[in-house]
Amino acid sequence: MADDFIFTSGSLTEGHPDKLCDKISDALVDHFLAEDPLASVNAECAVATGILFLALRFAGGVTPDVAAVAREAIRKAGYTQGGFQARSCSIMTSLAEGTPHATQDERALDPADYDAFPAQHQVTLFGFACDQTPDYLPLPVALAHGMVRRLDALRGDGTLPGLMPDGQSQVSVEYRERRPARVATVALVSSVWPEGYGELTALRRDLEERVVRPVLAEQAPELAGDTQVLINPHGHLRQGGPELHAGLTGRKTAIDTYGEYARHSGAALSGKDPGRIDRAGAYAARQAARCVVAAGLARECEVQLSYGIGQARPIGLDVETFGTGTLPDEEIKRRLLAAFDFRPAAILARLGLRHLPHEQGRPFYEALATYGQMGRGDLALPWEEDGLAEGIMGRLGNW
Amino acid sequence: MPHDAGYRSSSAAPGDAAAKVTILRGFPGRLRLRIEGLKHDEALAARLARALPGAAGIRTAEAKAVTGTLLLTHDPAVAQSAPIAAVVAVLGGKAAAAAGGEAAAPETAQEPWHVRPAEAALARFGTSAETGLSEEHARLVFRRVGPNVLVESKTRAPVAILLDQVVNLPTGLLLGSAVVSAATGGVLDAGAIAIVSLVNAAIGFATERDAERTISSLSSVAAPDAAVLRGGQQRQVPLPQVVPGDVLLLSPGAMIAADGRLLQAQSLSLDESLLTGESLPSGKTAELLSEPNLPLGERSNLVFKGTAVTGGSGRAVVTATGQATEIGRIQALAGEARPPETPLQQQLAEMDRTLIWLSLAACAGMVGIGLLRGYGSAQMLKSAISLAVAAIPEGLPTVATVTMALGIRDMRRHKAVVRRLDAIETLGAVGAVCFDKTGTLTENRMVAQGLDCSEAALPDLLRVCALNSEVELDAEGRAHGSSTEKALLELAQVRGLDIERVRRDAPLLETVHRSETQRWMTTRHRAPEGGAFLTVKGSPDEVLGLCRLTAEGAPLEEADRARALEANRRMGAEGLRVLAFAQGDMRTGGEIATDSEAETESLRWLGLVGLADPVRPEMAELMAKFHAAGIRTIMITGDQTATAYAIARQLNLNQGGPVEILEGTELDKLDPALLQALAERTQVYARVSPANKLQIVRALQAGGQVIAMTGDGINDSPALRAADIGLAMGSGTPAAHEVADLVLQDDRLTTMHVALGEGRTIYRNIRKAIRFLLSTNLSEILVMLGATALRLGQPLTPMQLLWINLVSDVFPGLGLALEPEDRRVLTEPPRDPKTPILSKDDFREVATEGAVMTATALAANLLVRRLAGPGPRASGATFVALTAGQLLHALSCRSETQSLWRGERLPPNPTLNKTMLALGLLTAGALALPWSRRLLGVTGMTAADWLIAGAAGGASYLVNEAIKSRRPQSVQAGGMEVGGETDVPETNPAAARTPENQPSKNRSPET
Repeated sequence: MADDFIFTSGSLTEGHPDKLCDKISDALVDHFLAEDPLASVNAECAVATGILFLALRFAGGVTPDVAAVAREAIRKAGYTQGGFQARSCSIMTSLAEGTPHATQDERALDPADYDAFPAQHQVTLFGFACDQTPDYLPLPVALAHGMVRRLDALRGDGTLPGLMPDGQSQVSVEYRERRPARVATVALVSSVWPEGYGELTALRRDLEERVVRPVLAEQAPELAGDTQVLINPHGHLRQGGPELHAGLTGRKTAIDTYGEYARHSGAALSGKDPGRIDRAGAYAARQAARCVVAAGLARECEVQLSYGIGQARPIGLDVETFGTGTLPDEEIKRRLLAAFDFRPAAILARLGLRHLPHEQGRPFYEALATYGQMGRGDLALPWEEDGLAEGIMGRLGNW
Repeated sequence: MPHDAGYRSSSAAPGDAAAKVTILRGFPGRLRLRIEGLKHDEALAARLARALPGAAGIRTAEAKAVTGTLLLTHDPAVAQSAPIAAVVAVLGGKAAAAAGGEAAAPETAQEPWHVRPAEAALARFGTSAETGLSEEHARLVFRRVGPNVLVESKTRAPVAILLDQVVNLPTGLLLGSAVVSAATGGVLDAGAIAIVSLVNAAIGFATERDAERTISSLSSVAAPDAAVLRGGQQRQVPLPQVVPGDVLLLSPGAMIAADGRLLQAQSLSLDESLLTGESLPSGKTAELLSEPNLPLGERSNLVFKGTAVTGGSGRAVVTATGQATEIGRIQALAGEARPPETPLQQQLAEMDRTLIWLSLAACAGMVGIGLLRGYGSAQMLKSAISLAVAAIPEGLPTVATVTMALGIRDMRRHKAVVRRLDAIETLGAVGAVCFDKTGTLTENRMVAQGLDCSEAALPDLLRVCALNSEVELDAEGRAHGSSTEKALLELAQVRGLDIERVRRDAPLLETVHRSETQRWMTTRHRAPEGGAFLTVKGSPDEVLGLCRLTAEGAPLEEADRARALEANRRMGAEGLRVLAFAQGDMRTGGEIATDSEAETESLRWLGLVGLADPVRPEMAELMAKFHAAGIRTIMITGDQTATAYAIARQLNLNQGGPVEILEGTELDKLDPALLQALAERTQVYARVSPANKLQIVRALQAGGQVIAMTGDGINDSPALRAADIGLAMGSGTPAAHEVADLVLQDDRLTTMHVALGEGRTIYRNIRKAIRFLLSTNLSEILVMLGATALRLGQPLTPMQLLWINLVSDVFPGLGLALEPEDRRVLTEPPRDPKTPILSKDDFREVATEGAVMTATALAANLLVRRLAGPGPRASGATFVALTAGQLLHALSCRSETQSLWRGERLPPNPTLNKTMLALGLLTAGALALPWSRRLLGVTGMTAADWLIAGAAGGASYLVNEAIKSRRPQSVQAGGMEVGGETDVPETNPAAARTPENQPSKNRSPET
């Protein structure tokens, strides 16, 4: 990347079919883990026209009423009327029970035994953090999340009743010397109910004045001087949601992570219990990158973690600071390895991932399914804690 | 059609301007009608073709003025009567037009009661809405108008059956041959032929009359009683005794006993699909209508016999009964009195016709060859006629009919009432069975299966079960009330609580029922020790919200609440219905209102009880049996996914794989193609309303499967009708019985398994009998043809041929039809419903078997001829060899796979054994007695001749068995894997199926 460029990221509302599927999948993960932290679950969801498909492979715990959980998620996403709605949509469920993978709670393990719990999958994961926002996220994706979050909030509390739950945002930020200099463009698209918003101009005015401008004013006040705002540039969308386009769990991994500003793994996060290294490892990598930036070792940091089947320690760990580091990348990597234990059992024990839905209450993972899984200042996420940053910094003094 | 004045002239004879409609062929979904007056009337043909599609479920209508016939395709879920009614309506319009310009009168035999006030109807029949007819008056009317019954399926009169036996081609040929014999001096022969004809006719008559009786009793189920008002009292009157003027009391599930005019209706709705083809219930009111010329379906203030109440209640005065009712008139017009032939019978009749011509051609061929070879023409004619008699397979449809009739009787022994003949053959092809959960798979009662309650709180919880309950115990200790509360009471009783005493000690002061907003029920009781106390039972979340104390009286902590909620979730996930219990001790004397803060302050949390409708114990085993028989099991339930999942696991509906559940309240809105694709895998349909069963049946059928479906409610009727086998429980509604193909009188679903085995066995037995008949008849033809061609003289005399016809045709065939059920029949996949009963491969095998019998018989002829030259000895040896070979072949036909060298022993078939023994003795006797021997033309045979003939017969059997044992083992009876399609049996059922080609209830052989 050159140092001057324009970067664009997008986000989706909770009613977008892909995100709806993520939400349902993670709601199911919550339900299983809330009853039994050691439960393993893989919830894949697809939605098209009037029907929702759910393929659930699970073990342990108490089987929730999966269709009821899905309906509740659809209802919360706002589909309470129209052709696809929580009450009446058809749900095709395929339930298969297996034997549990987790035999022991990692928290109760002696760290000496972590090696006995290797990764079950081969995966390469990326964690990223930068100092562009207080949550250490790149500005474009942070703003894009802010737009759809506010859009959902105003629709949900009845302020903008004509909106359908299906919408998306796109934010372009102009960078100079790798620092955000200007929010160039904000595009926001929302579908409306057939009877809502007769006038397109009314919709455009409402969304610009009540969604886009307040979010810009709050999150990037000094960068939004001459921002171009586009609302529904293609005109009214009188149809939306699963009736119009299909959705699938795990199709929006960029939105879940860093808005394509950094690399992200092909493995999806939603619908998997944290015993899966592709989910737990992504959180661990984010935590590591965040700690590097929080410790002031770099303004931008990408941590790459590679796991192999049957091996507990990551096969590879790499750090890239894009020339913003105060130390050589090699040294940062050495310190990370010293401060962080990246073995799967260690991650689970450190972040307590299996216990979060039980300890923090539902919805936990379901709440992560929309507006990104990283840098969520609104949630108490263990992988967003900077405690270990001091460990890296402390060594700075010794060096 | 002019009016018919009321019930007095109740004859519905369509002798007037209306054209008569006759059903030529009827399969579900397809009707061929002959319409008098249509021939040469192009205008009428055009009008029928234009007016019919769209009405009463009719899809296409093709009227041919050339032939005077009308071909309809209609929605198979619609009863045949509805399209016929539509046809009659269109024809009625024609009649009115013909009458010349006057206002088109509604084509009804009755007065247009829908445009008359109800009072007019009451006055006409001298009755009253409040008291109905008096018993006396009703008796008088009954004497005048006769019973309220429709003409049941007409049994063929015995004379007609006898006539059929005498006036047919084989008998005609026999008599012809007698005449030829008499003319050529063979008086003895002529006499013998006459006797054979008589015996043939007598046997045919006896078996057919028996079968006829069984079949014509199919449609009669015990007619339910009708609720009517007689002399101011509500009476249950047998259906036939309902008379015009009776006031019918209508309630859900009841069949309408007769046509009537509504007097009052409260949200009354009726299923009138029988008449209108409309599967949605039609709403009814008593309000006066003004338009006289309305279709039946829009006469909203009339009710019609044969329809059923789906909801609401009402009263109606009967205006017409029996044949004078709309359905009676349609039935009379359509002449739909005899059950139509089943597809199998039609297939066999067709085969029969083809074979007759082939046999005649063979006879002609033999005559031709004989004449060329220089035989005398008189002798050839006699031989040809005798051969025709012997070779024509007259028994094919008879064997099928008799076999099916026997099956019906057998099933009746198992309390399974077959209501339609074709159900028997369809049963054998059933590939999936859909069950209602409630009442079929489960016991339809609640049982407490889970308890979450501390030791100390248990007595209090049980006491609340007993007190917070509206269940009444009668003198014998039987409980009356809701199933949930009965289950709770049972729980208390089982745990040793004396209900009566508890209730006596704490008399009820007040009850507040649960409501939509307050999902719990409270009762207040006087405490034995003075004061009063409160009991609460209801939704766990809400009751927990009310409680402030634990059972022991300590404050209810957050941890206690979380624990209780978790128990609730756990029980819910197990598919239990969970109720919470609490108790409030009030020492103030019961002055406080039930929902006041003060009371909830003192409410103590007692615990949870989880209830469920238990699965019947034998069901899991039954499901496993269905799976073993290659039959899919599909559960349909109104429950949520969690409950459905728990039961599916208990029953192992998933057969070890993932459980596939489709939950949908609006299946009708799904794309049918999508539903069809989903139905391929779905084992459980959850939260489904009975009305959606129709969509499920259609989706499964579109996938090419033959579907059996259970149902008992009135809402189930469309699905029952659409299913290939509609299965009603004996305890179900009359409406369900009416449309079902099979009624399980004792409600035991296990009978279904028996019936399926029975269906498969019957089909296989019919195949066995047919294969036997075809191969033996073929051998006779080949022997005669071969001998003539090889200049072996006349190998069999006419008398010998007649003997063979008498002995080795129908009797062994019937014996084979009685083969007992092979226990493997239910371990194999169902037959492919699309293949014909005999495939090309089967015909090839039949031909081989016939050729083997021919070759051995001719070999005997040649050998004896070597010893003695041409003459009676050679002919006798051929006769003995062929007869023995044919009789032994019956044994070979018992199984298509098992042979002397391979397979397990078959279960014994005593009937066949006795038949064979009797026939063998008969033949031996005939050969032993000098005069009959002379008659048969078997003279001068030496011991060596006998030995050769016997060896030839035995050899034919051995060779055929050897050939059988070399056939691929996988070939199963029923044509499952035949005709070159062996590699794609079931795995790809929907492939290459066009919409037009969708299987309907019974595949017509035409398509």
